[in-house]
Amino acid sequence: MTRESKSSAARIFLLIGRLILAGIFLFAAYAKLKPQTTVPWSASSVKISLSMFALQVDSYQLLPVKLVSPVAHLLPPGELFLGLWLLTGIALRFSSLAASLLIGGFFSVVVRTYAMGLEINCGCFGPGERLGVGTIVRDASLLALALAVTIVAFWIRSRGEPSSSSALPAPQRAD
Amino acid sequence: MLRAILAKFQEEVVRRVPQASTRFFAIFFAGLAALLLALAWQPGAAAQIHSRSHASFSGHPPSTSILKAYGTPSAPIRLDVFSDYQCPSCGNFFENTMRPMINEYVAQGKVYIVHHDFPLQMHPYSGAAARWANAAAKIGEFQQVDAALFDNQAAWGATGDIAKYVLAAIGPADFKRVEAILKPCTSPPPTSHADGSMPQADPACPVDASIVQDVALGYQIPVRATPTYVISYKGQKFPPGSGAVSWDIMRQFFDSLLSQ
Repeated sequence: MTRESKSSAARIFLLIGRLILAGIFLFAAYAKLKPQTTVPWSASSVKISLSMFALQVDSYQLLPVKLVSPVAHLLPPGELFLGLWLLTGIALRFSSLAASLLIGGFFSVVVRTYAMGLEINCGCFGPGERLGVGTIVRDASLLALALAVTIVAFWIRSRGEPSSSSALPAPQRAD
Repeated sequence: MLRAILAKFQEEVVRRVPQASTRFFAIFFAGLAALLLALAWQPGAAAQIHSRSHASFSGHPPSTSILKAYGTPSAPIRLDVFSDYQCPSCGNFFENTMRPMINEYVAQGKVYIVHHDFPLQMHPYSGAAARWANAAAKIGEFQQVDAALFDNQAAWGATGDIAKYVLAAIGPADFKRVEAILKPCTSPPPTSHADGSMPQADPACPVDASIVQDVALGYQIPVRATPTYVISYKGQKFPPGSGAVSWDIMRQFFDSLLSQ
């Protein structure tokens, strides 16, 4: 595999990988923020959805009560921001690193909760999803993807090339 | 911006795919397929909500159901709780969340709590405890027995001696009435099953049908662990939650509903 083809493959992988991660974070944010009953979107419905998400955060029995509500109210907008950031491809090293850290945190919490035997809802993509082995497998896969995107982004950058796909060099012409 | 991103994607794929390693893409997309399979493995929240939301919480219990409740049905918020008397998380939920809720929001007419029995097969005495609670409910003493069962969960859970705590909660006269109700109940009490199969009610036992009714309702939710709760506000039903949550956090949720 030539240097050129390695670089090309890496860039395509980065593009697809960050679009997948962006889609996942945007969907996660949407699932938590959307009205949980058959009411239209409104500031009130978002407030209720975030309060409902706080119930799921609390069920993990991880955080002090005082921190549950702030975390529950900050996490979905944070996922929304991260999803949009990944979508743009701007500073991909840092957005993918943030994604890796966040997913890594989720993964460790899920594993801990499962090991404790707590039978709760995951809350990962809105209410109703039971935390189980499938959750762990899924989060492990997402973590692997996020880490791979981060590593490749830093590798590309270390070669003096921009990791963002918006600055691709033109292909070599055969003369 | 989305159009620009898609155009860039198309340009890159068309120009660069021929230069990329076939092996790399094979490995990558095999991994992507595995990821998508893992994602698809989890039942979607929407599928659960839409397929299970027909569980009947009309406020008028079916004829075999014995009403076990706190508060007034006209309260704007209704909390349906599926509980196992021998489950430690249920005990935690009752003591730390439901007690203050009963003392505050139920007393103020804001919340109406309906208890549903979901005795788990793994707990040897939970079915018997459910029978005692239902028998007490038939004579209007549910709340006292419900509290007594959770207050003394560790004690009767070790020995199975539930009667003495019921006696202490309701006194000798009412205890005799409850005993009389349970006298025909000679077969093992009904419990939920992990495989979702329906428990068998003792046809001679006056309270078993109600327990089976609760379990059947729980299967529709679906209840996979206890405690599981379903919150409704003015007829709008929210997705079920499970596990113990603190009263402070649940109160914030109730306040967000009441402030609409």
